Formats: sequence, structure tokens, C-alpha cells
Amino acid sequence: MRLPGSEVLYPALQVVVRNTGRSLLTVLGLAIGVGAFIAMVSFGQGARTSVVSQFERIGTNLLRVRISGRVDPKPHRPLTDGDLQALTRESTTLVDIVPLRRKNDDVVFGGVSYRVYIAGVTRGYAVLHDQHVVSGGMFDELDLSQRAKVCVLGQTPAHALFGDRDPIGATITIGGTLPCRVLGLVAAKGMSISGDDLDDFVLMPVTTFAAYLGNPTDGYALIEMRPQSPALLQAARGEIVDILRRRHQLDARDPDDFEVISPDEATRVAAQTAAILTGLLAGIAAVSLLVGGIGIMNILLVSVAERTYEIGIRAAVGASPWQILTQFLAEALVLAIIGSGAGAALGVGAALAVEHQMGWDSGTSVPVVVFSVLFGIVIGLVFGYIPARRAAMLDPIQALRRE
Amino acid sequence: MAAPIVELEQVEKVYAEALLNAPVLGGIDLVITYGEVVALTGPSGSGKSTLLNILGCLDRPTKGQYRLGGRDVSGLDREEQAWVRLHYVGFIFQSFHLVSDSTALENVALPLYYAGVPRAERERRAAALLQRVGLGDRLEHWPRQLSGGQCQRVAIARSLACRPKLLLADEPTGALDSRTAKDVMSLLGELHQESGITIILVTHDPQVAAFAHRQITMLDGLIVADEEGKSAHAAAR
Repeated sequence: MRLPGSEVLYPALQVVVRNTGRSLLTVLGLAIGVGAFIAMVSFGQGARTSVVSQFERIGTNLLRVRISGRVDPKPHRPLTDGDLQALTRESTTLVDIVPLRRKNDDVVFGGVSYRVYIAGVTRGYAVLHDQHVVSGGMFDELDLSQRAKVCVLGQTPAHALFGDRDPIGATITIGGTLPCRVLGLVAAKGMSISGDDLDDFVLMPVTTFAAYLGNPTDGYALIEMRPQSPALLQAARGEIVDILRRRHQLDARDPDDFEVISPDEATRVAAQTAAILTGLLAGIAAVSLLVGGIGIMNILLVSVAERTYEIGIRAAVGASPWQILTQFLAEALVLAIIGSGAGAALGVGAALAVEHQMGWDSGTSVPVVVFSVLFGIVIGLVFGYIPARRAAMLDPIQALRRE
Repeated sequence: MAAPIVELEQVEKVYAEALLNAPVLGGIDLVITYGEVVALTGPSGSGKSTLLNILGCLDRPTKGQYRLGGRDVSGLDREEQAWVRLHYVGFIFQSFHLVSDSTALENVALPLYYAGVPRAERERRAAALLQRVGLGDRLEHWPRQLSGGQCQRVAIARSLACRPKLLLADEPTGALDSRTAKDVMSLLGELHQESGITIILVTHDPQVAAFAHRQITMLDGLIVADEEGKSAHAAAR
């Protein structure tokens, strides 16, 4: 005789409620297991998101070309305007190709002097580095072609020179001789993962830089660009190498006289590391789930032993082994549901608390919670099966003697 | 002549773990017809309880055939045995065997639960049965709140819940004082007269044995005497 679900679950719930102390003990292990699982996976995800977002602040998918630092018999060719034009013209996968000249020099305003990283760039630079002008504006193509004496400030030099005053429209002196009008102010980005101040820079048109601050015959310090999509990263690298080797007239035997660097690799390594960390934490937490399951099994085994006599009575009045099995499985299920539910609350609470403390983005996600609750219930049922089977296999005559 | 409810042919029982494999039952032939009240007597270890367990499908014969209501039940598996116990057999035990954390009503309703009777219906039937055994005002009592005689009445009500054809009682008055024992036996007598249910009692007590139509005496796993009774209850019929 198979009884309807409600007729099995309700008495199971009754047994669980009537034996509150034992039920709490049983549930505790699983609750801690499920809670630990959710919390650990959430911490891992939160840490990972946090690491990746720190790398993203530097600029994702950024490809940089610079002259090789290695000493070769053949002198290295500089990165020229011709190289820039070739990359722009010939590549199919590259966008936002930006030349860059740079130096550290003093900027002066109102008697205050501040040494800062000065970059001569084109407009694409802000796109590549995810920089947003919060007040004023960026220099435009006209400024570039006219070598206009204009600049855009990062937050750090702006504070150093202007304090709380509005720098827009002011004229600062760069490198001791070049007066530049401040066009705009770039939004704060804070600290990079390696501790660099990402707001400590002054941007100006690369043409202006070349004309007034550098030696115009020098090549570019860097050419920066990005692939059209992250998936094209390797193809883009390949194109850069091909085009520049041809431009630099290198033989097949010659090594590259330039280097292609991508911070994206570092980002991926960091994300991978965090993923490994998540896996590790989840593994540890899975062990605690397993221990919780074994806890359920032990308490249910004790419960079967304690209730042998009662099982004997039930069998004597006509309960079939199947019915006894389902009764104990139902008790395991009820306990597992309660334990997993409590564990979910515990885990989400712990994860939120820690994330709040650490200032991470929340890594707690609905799929993680649903998965671990279901996993907890399955564990409860799997480990509940062994005691339930033992109960079902009891010989009623022997069981009745255990009064 | 009435039809047989119990037919045993050369039923043997040997426990594998027993020393020397001495048989507990050594070839029992027995026919009991519908409506009989039979007392099984004999000294301890004579095999009475084992025979009763086989009759109630709690145990299986090692050898021989057992037909219950014309159907061979010697080789049933545990699921099928449970079905027969539920629908065909009621048990009463010396120590009542009530579920201690269930009320009187829940105890009586227990077999109905396993038979799949809906909740409201089984509570109604259990209440009626408790009413019949004189415990209509004790429905929500726990077994520990009831006297021995009352517990045995609950057990009797429970044994009748699924309207069995065969009532098996193992020393039903063994744990009761003589007055209560008499009350319980007269209740069984009334129930027999009302429904004509077949009753088989295991007992040491000559007074209880005298209640039966027929007295079967066992010794060392064999039936050594089978007498048609001169019982007070049988005479009253």
C-alpha cells in the first residue's frame, strides 16, 4: 500500500516536532554544512569579483607596444608615426589605436609646484583606460592638429595645485616653460592593485607634447590599443607583431625589436587564481556538507535503535517494510529541509556580514543558495536511506522483544 | 461443517542459529475452522508463541504448508506478509505493545493508517472501536495515563481496526490482575459473539484456557493433546 505524500510527510513532521532536542542535534550538522558552503562560495565569488574589478580599473583588453628593452646587435627602431599609421591602416582587429609620449615633470600653478606623470596622447586614450571627464571636457581633434596648449588633469595633481578650487579654465605651467589651459578633470579611480595612484597624471595632446616637451625626433614611448572584442586578443597580438616586423624590416631570424604587453593576461591570471580559491573553499565546504550528512545518518541510526520496539509494533499491526522505509526517509527529508533552510539563512547572513566588512561586491547568488539547499536535501536523503533501510529490514518478532 | 480458516500441514520451524538445530516446531498438523475459539497451552519453550507467530504471518515455517483462508501463505515475502497481517490478522500481546508517544486514538488508528484509510475516516472508526471497548472517554489519553486493563482494551480495539478474520492473543491477561483479566476475557467473549471472529489464545492460565471451545496442548514443538472444550463460554453459545 503506497500512502499519499501528505500522509507520509505529516506524521514525519510530527515525529520531528515531538523530539525537538534530537531533531535540533540532527539538523545542526547539516545547517552548518549548508551555511558553510554558501558562505565559502560567496566569499570566493566576492573576492574574485573584487580582484577582477581592480584589474579592470587599469583598463581591460589593453594591448601596449613598446620598444624592446633587450640589447640586440641590431639597434631597435623607434615607434614612429609611420608605425601608428600602418597599424591603423592594415589591421582588421584593432581599435582605439593611441600613440603615447610621456615624462615626469613639474606642473606649477600659483606658486605651487607638483611633479607628475605627463602623457601626450590622443582622444582614444580615455576610452582605453576607462577614464571619464567629470567636469570640463577632453581636448578635441582640432586641439590635436593645432598643437593646442591645453591639458586634462587627474584628481591628484588637481588637488595638489588647486585644493578645493575649480581648475577648469586655469592656466598651469608644465615643464617650466609651457603654459597650458586646463580643459577638464578626470573622475577618480583610486589605487591600483599594485598600489599605484591611478589619478596621478596630466594628459595633453600628443602633438603638443612632441612640439614643446619632448624631442620630436624621438619615437613614441608606447602605442596602446585594444582588440575589437576580448575573444580577438590573440589575433590582435598576431597582427601587431606581423605589421611591426614588416615595418621594421626584420628578417625571419631577427627577434622582435618591440614588445607587446597586455595587462589582460594579468587580469585573467588573477581571476583564475580567485576561481581556484573559490573551488578550494567550495571543496572544503563540501566536506563539511558531507560531515553534516553523516551527522544526520548517525542520529537517525540512533533513532532507529531507540525506536526498534515502536517499529516492531508498527510491523506487527501490518506496516510493510516499504511503508517503514518511506516513514524514515520522510523524517530524513523533513530534517534535511529544515537543516538546509536554516543553513541557507546562516550562510547568506555570514556572507553578507563578511562582504560588508571587507567592502566586497556581494558574491551571494540565487543559484548558489538553491544549489546548496538542494545538495543538502539530497545529502540528507542519501544518508537517511541507510538508517531507513535498517528500520525496514528489522524482524518484527525480534523488535518487539526490545521493549 | 464450517470451512477451515487455518490449515497447517507438517509445519516445521528450525532456527538456523539454534544449537544442534533442534526444531522449535516439529511437524504440526492443525485445522481450525471459522468462528472457533482455541486455546494453545503448554510449558515455556513448547513452541506456542512460535506457532502463533507463524499463524499471524510474523514468521514463516521452515518446512510444510500454511493455508490461511484457503490461500497458501507459507512462502510470502515480507511485503505480502505485512499485507496479510494488516487485513486478515489482529494481534493482542501480553504487554499490550502500544506506541508510547501516540494517543489511544492514534494507536487504534495505526493499522487504518497503513491500510490507506483517510484521516477523518480512520479517526471516526478508531473512536467507535474505543467506544465499543469502553474507553470512549479516553481517546486523547497517552498509554502511560492508562491502567493495564485499559491498555489491553486499546490493544484489542487496535487489533480489530481492519476487521480481521483471525484474532491472535499471546498471553492477553498475563500482565493483568485476576479481576481485570476476567473483564478483558469477557470483552473478548462479547466480541466473539458479536462478530464470530476466530480467536486463538496462547495462555498458561487454566481459567483463560477454559474460556475456549478447544484446547490444544503443546510439548517440545509438538501437539500432544487436542480436546474439544467444555468451556463456559462455549457452553453459553
